[in-house]
Amino acid sequence: MNPPKRPVLRSRHNALWLAAVPLLFALVFLALPVARLLFEGLWGEPVPGLALADTGPWWRDAHLQWRVGWTLVQALATCVACLVLGLPMAWVLARLDFAGRLWWQRALLLPFVVPTLVAALGVLSLWGPRGWLGEPLAQAGVSLQDGPWLLLLGNLFFNLGLVVRAGSDGLAQVSAQQVALARTLGSTPWRAFWRVEWPVVAPWLASAMCLVFLYCFTGFGLALVLGGQRFATVEVEIYTLIAHELALGPAAALAVAMLALTGGVAWTYAWVERRLANTARITPVERRPLRGAGQWIWALWVLALGIWGLLCGAPLLALLGQGLRAAVWGQGAAVWADPDTWLALRNTLQFTAMALVLATVLGSLQALAGHALRPWPRWALAWRASAYAPLVVSPVALAFGFLLVYPQWLASLPLLVAAYALLAYPFVAKALTAALDALPEHYAQAAATLGARPLRVFWRVTLPMVTLALRRGVAFAAATMLGEFAVSLLLSRPEWLTLSTLIYQRLGRPGAGNLDAALVLSASLMVLALLVFVLIEGRLGSGTSPAASQARRRAAATSPPTPAA
Amino acid sequence: MLELRHIHHHWIGPNGQPQPLLQDVNLQVARGQTVALLGPSGSGKSTLLKIIAGLELPESGSVWLDGQDISDWPPERRRLALMFQDYVLFPHLNVQDNVAFGLVEQGVPRAQARERANDLLQRFGLVGRGRDPVTTLSGGEQQRVALARALITEPQALLLDEPFSALDAEMRDSLRAEFAQRIAEHGMRAVLVTHDEAEARAMASVAWRLQGGALVKLW
Repeated sequence: MNPPKRPVLRSRHNALWLAAVPLLFALVFLALPVARLLFEGLWGEPVPGLALADTGPWWRDAHLQWRVGWTLVQALATCVACLVLGLPMAWVLARLDFAGRLWWQRALLLPFVVPTLVAALGVLSLWGPRGWLGEPLAQAGVSLQDGPWLLLLGNLFFNLGLVVRAGSDGLAQVSAQQVALARTLGSTPWRAFWRVEWPVVAPWLASAMCLVFLYCFTGFGLALVLGGQRFATVEVEIYTLIAHELALGPAAALAVAMLALTGGVAWTYAWVERRLANTARITPVERRPLRGAGQWIWALWVLALGIWGLLCGAPLLALLGQGLRAAVWGQGAAVWADPDTWLALRNTLQFTAMALVLATVLGSLQALAGHALRPWPRWALAWRASAYAPLVVSPVALAFGFLLVYPQWLASLPLLVAAYALLAYPFVAKALTAALDALPEHYAQAAATLGARPLRVFWRVTLPMVTLALRRGVAFAAATMLGEFAVSLLLSRPEWLTLSTLIYQRLGRPGAGNLDAALVLSASLMVLALLVFVLIEGRLGSGTSPAASQARRRAAATSPPTPAA
Repeated sequence: MLELRHIHHHWIGPNGQPQPLLQDVNLQVARGQTVALLGPSGSGKSTLLKIIAGLELPESGSVWLDGQDISDWPPERRRLALMFQDYVLFPHLNVQDNVAFGLVEQGVPRAQARERANDLLQRFGLVGRGRDPVTTLSGGEQQRVALARALITEPQALLLDEPFSALDAEMRDSLRAEFAQRIAEHGMRAVLVTHDEAEARAMASVAWRLQGGALVKLW
């Protein structure tokens, strides 16, 4: 084992102090509920009289087999689709110079900011039976509602941008000299891509694929609204078993199965992320101007932007359009006269603000503890993986765990705020971890040799250089909490109505007036989420700071919010 | 006198086995003296410099400064300024704030620290550049700012880790002479790590080569 270095900021004591609070928080609000869930799932008694319980383990139930199998298939299908569509888009973004390129790069972040229910309505506004494209397609005999297509389109809406960003950042790590060398050694452009560029970009895409899989596999809100009876996911099934059938045993068993799979994926993600932290200094391949490029390049550019626009941009425009129509020509404007709306708005902002403070503290401590553990790689990897644990456990399963462990605290505000913070702090941790990873050690060393004590080094050198990334992580956390749905649905009281639960309520009531109200509320929530994001982050995809630009790119590429719940 | 006594250190080789890096290294640097450490890449020169600065702990051995054992002192207490190959100017601070950094850490009021920084910048030929972002400086200018930042704190010694290797030949020659002059002006003791013998001859009165983990005197 290497002899210990004298770390400027890092020591085992520092790491322990920094880790104490997030560790305790995770123990109380994650580990204990999950442990209880595991117990119920593995050893719990079936509830007498319930048909599901009488049939034995869930894997013998054809209905649940289908649910689990479909959940896996839709997650994998989304991964494949994102890769096939996203990699060419990433190439266009990384290799071509064209007017509006930076705006497109910023716009890739838009789906990350949009709450899940809003996204679902956006997809319906475009592709649904009365959508801008869905309606003409239905009239032409192509109904997207009958199959899994709406859910898959929703998955693509959320995750395509993630893969494009990761891919373009990976391509930016390819050494121009290596590509040139390969060409002089006889490689065609395609062979040079396959043998030189692909090995560099593949880990970045692998990292993104892990996230895409996790998001789709544990997705709830999208599946609830877009999946219908047949194509809903396991998360919806768990929710139905708890909230409507009171079948806690089978629900717990399903949740355990989900945990096992997502836990493995999260560990893989943490391992890949750690490898990506060791980026070498290279001269990147220069972007070529689109003007003057060949017709195939032009065709690729048109396809890339066109497909992205259709899958990711158009749903947002359609929602805005439908919201405006509902407000101006429909009955949607009446929603603002409803006291429930203002109550929901107030609660949404209040819960988000409280939980955001907690999430920022937890996420920052988590990241700093991980940074302090770097001299001990195995511990650092385990700690890093633990930061993603809240993403592994779906919000539905988490809420279920709270029901089991803390029944006396149900419908208490601290528990709700803690649940919000638990689901959001990984984004702060991820963004800050990536920024700290990318920060060269020399800066802290130089500051120390100039007389700065460790805390001063952090305050004067480290923190200013990672502030951009931290703000981005906090902005994503805020956007996540604004649209939080599953936990609010299961844990809150009627007087704690939020905008998401209000939208869901309206969708569940019949009548054009309620649909119009849901559309207006969704459009409003989308604008609110964007506004909050821009206020916190500074500007959507804000400009570079000199040496922090690399850290920001890494952090931005790997810190999107979850569309879970 | 800055002294290294019986420094031993190892590193883990690709086969997972410990490989000796520094074996019973002893070094003395008197006040006003510049000592050069030469050796091929991977010989342990930079590691030795980090041990002196307190950024790494040796496996065994001690570091002494003017008769005091400073082996357990953290870097910020040793007051041994380290200059890196890639300048390591803080990108979020402008030129004058970079230079003033160490003074602020010593408790000098910020306004006074900036004034002293600007005085020093003037002497270094960087008049009027105090408020500029460090990214607008050339390589040579950045290295001058890094030297000013190190010297303004009046350190006990200057530790230079291949400070000119990132510069072109013409800039290197010009800066070598300038650095040697400025170090002499301040009566500083300095340890220069380099793989360039010509550079060592231009700047140092004593030179050692790190060979097989041990120091061999060159002149």
